[in-house]
Amino acid sequence: QSKHLLAFPLVDVNGIQKKNNRRILQECHGDAARTAGGSGTTRKCTALELLEEEQAQGFIITFCSALDNILGGGVQLTKITEICGAPGVGKTQLCMQLAVDVQIPECFGGVAGEAVFIDTEGSFMVDRVVDIATACVQHCQLIAEAHQEEDHLKALETFSLESILSHIYYFRCRDYIELLAQVYLLPDFLSEHSKVRLVVVDGIAFPFRHDFEDLSLRTRLLNGLAQQLIIIAHDHKSAVILTNQMTTRIGQNQSTLVPALGESWGHAATVRLIFHWDNSQRLATLYKSPSQKESTIPYHITVSISFGMEIERWDSVKTGRVSGTTSQGCLDHVI
Amino acid sequence: MDWDQFDLNPKVIAALKKADIKSIKEILNLSGADLQRLMKLSSADIQCLLKTVSHMLRRNSMLTALQLYQDKDHLTSQHQKLSLGCSVLDTLLKGGIPLVGITELAGESSAGKTQISLQLCLCVQYPYKYGGLESGAVYICTEDVFPSKRLQQLIDQQHKLRVDVPAEIIQKIKFGNSIFVEHAADLDTFHNCITKRISLLLTRGMVRLVVIDSIAALFRCEFGVSDSVMKARYLQTFGAQLHSLSTRFRTPIMCINQVTDAVSESEVAQCSSSVADNRVSPALGITWANQLLMRLMVSRISQPEQSSGVASHLTGSVRTLRVVFAPHLPPSSCYYTVKLEGVKGINTSFA
Repeated sequence: QSKHLLAFPLVDVNGIQKKNNRRILQECHGDAARTAGGSGTTRKCTALELLEEEQAQGFIITFCSALDNILGGGVQLTKITEICGAPGVGKTQLCMQLAVDVQIPECFGGVAGEAVFIDTEGSFMVDRVVDIATACVQHCQLIAEAHQEEDHLKALETFSLESILSHIYYFRCRDYIELLAQVYLLPDFLSEHSKVRLVVVDGIAFPFRHDFEDLSLRTRLLNGLAQQLIIIAHDHKSAVILTNQMTTRIGQNQSTLVPALGESWGHAATVRLIFHWDNSQRLATLYKSPSQKESTIPYHITVSISFGMEIERWDSVKTGRVSGTTSQGCLDHVI
Repeated sequence: MDWDQFDLNPKVIAALKKADIKSIKEILNLSGADLQRLMKLSSADIQCLLKTVSHMLRRNSMLTALQLYQDKDHLTSQHQKLSLGCSVLDTLLKGGIPLVGITELAGESSAGKTQISLQLCLCVQYPYKYGGLESGAVYICTEDVFPSKRLQQLIDQQHKLRVDVPAEIIQKIKFGNSIFVEHAADLDTFHNCITKRISLLLTRGMVRLVVIDSIAALFRCEFGVSDSVMKARYLQTFGAQLHSLSTRFRTPIMCINQVTDAVSESEVAQCSSSVADNRVSPALGITWANQLLMRLMVSRISQPEQSSGVASHLTGSVRTLRVVFAPHLPPSSCYYTVKLEGVKGINTSFA
């Protein structure tokens, strides 16, 4: 009830003298703080505490130094990251890879979590996930062999293809109503599966880009969805990854490609990555981030998606890159 | 909607009826605050209502990737593919065309798009064991008349193309009887066709493949430069409808698309063409490309390349089939030829 009192302007509170108002407010605040104490949504803390908290929260590492670097360590837990890009540029690939990477054991620098994958486009290909997961396990094995540390070997006993696959929870949503319903159910699901550290929605744009006569309804639903996802990310200490399509914006002189769903949607995500083509090279640009500077890296997709090579290593990689017809893994380039 | 069958507080059910809310969709379209105002209920009641209807809608829809991978109950179609009737082409596509999703086949005229599509219409009729789906196909023509003569030729030659299938099985299939041809020359006819007629055929289980030859022709004449918003809306609607048909009936949708000359460098990049010297890009732009699961491109090989390259000893012109993008395939390509009996990939073990 304290919440309701707070929502009214003070003069409206029935029959209560103004001089008492302050006291009521104080009590309300106390109340709210007490009731919300556990979930921590309204608690006070200093910037220092926040900083420490944020640093303590891990990142989902991708085993690709260039991508991890521009993101400031990896995909941040508790934040929403949006990946935008033209079809075929590799959005779904990164989503599938992250669903595997989130499970990397802690001793390898991972967060040992689980993943929720909400698929609206039907582009989740389990065979591809198997490829990526196998490559990830192999990579960890290589590290373990090189270091011969006990905890590595122990972690590898349970880090197998089968365990990776059984910890990716897949939901297929065929329209925006199903997506909304699924997101309403997510908090309960995540409470039951407390190890989930990643929620992927691939993609957010497809169900919202047709059959909407009423664009204000769309904006309202999208804003509500974003708000729910922000709460989910925060409460369950998960990273949320959304993929978005690109659309053409026709300017005065030339048209450009911009992320779909309009201006207001641009505020939904904390971090925004844009994938694009430069001739035949795939590039990833960090477009929006509260902590990292805007930067661009080139990347390839191999059997294990290998994000990024530093520019210096550019040439050597180029000669060894996957050609049109073969598909050998380039694991050594990943590190 | 009969709200009484929901496991809800009677107070909430009464409020729903009083507020004249008729469907789950209506509830989910409203925000929590709006519902609270409309139904005059507390926010806890509303949260409970939202969760209950969401549960009703989603039931138990969760699958783990392991379940998808093992696919014991055949709940999903991740492993099943529609074969192209040629081992080389199937290898390129890791088994064939995925059952759920829109596959585009783009290319210049005479590159072999229709040939591949006709072959698919026959392949779909084979037993599961031989890469088919044991059902017919519907072929929507939007520009030319249906090449029935060529189809007849292909049917007669099936035993030559499919040496992997015993002859008596081929003989048993009445290929011609299960290919339904639709003509749709304008947008409204086409819309009517996919929403009513095709879905009827699919519901009856008479077809498991939809070929659209070609999607671009519908848009070529009717839209000027200024109607681009309208055009985009049509493309999105069609894309969504085809998508939902494909998902509901686990039926592959094959859309043939034309190509246009790429005007600028950036346009080539936009269409995610990974070959730099390729000067054409599929028509209909990024709006259409967003609807696709996978994009294939076919082209004829230009003459000088042909004489020096792999195919100099082969008769007939050599063409390439290229995977431009697909979530499960790397960009890759292979050569193929169109012969009397059909489309055949050329097995070249690349060094």
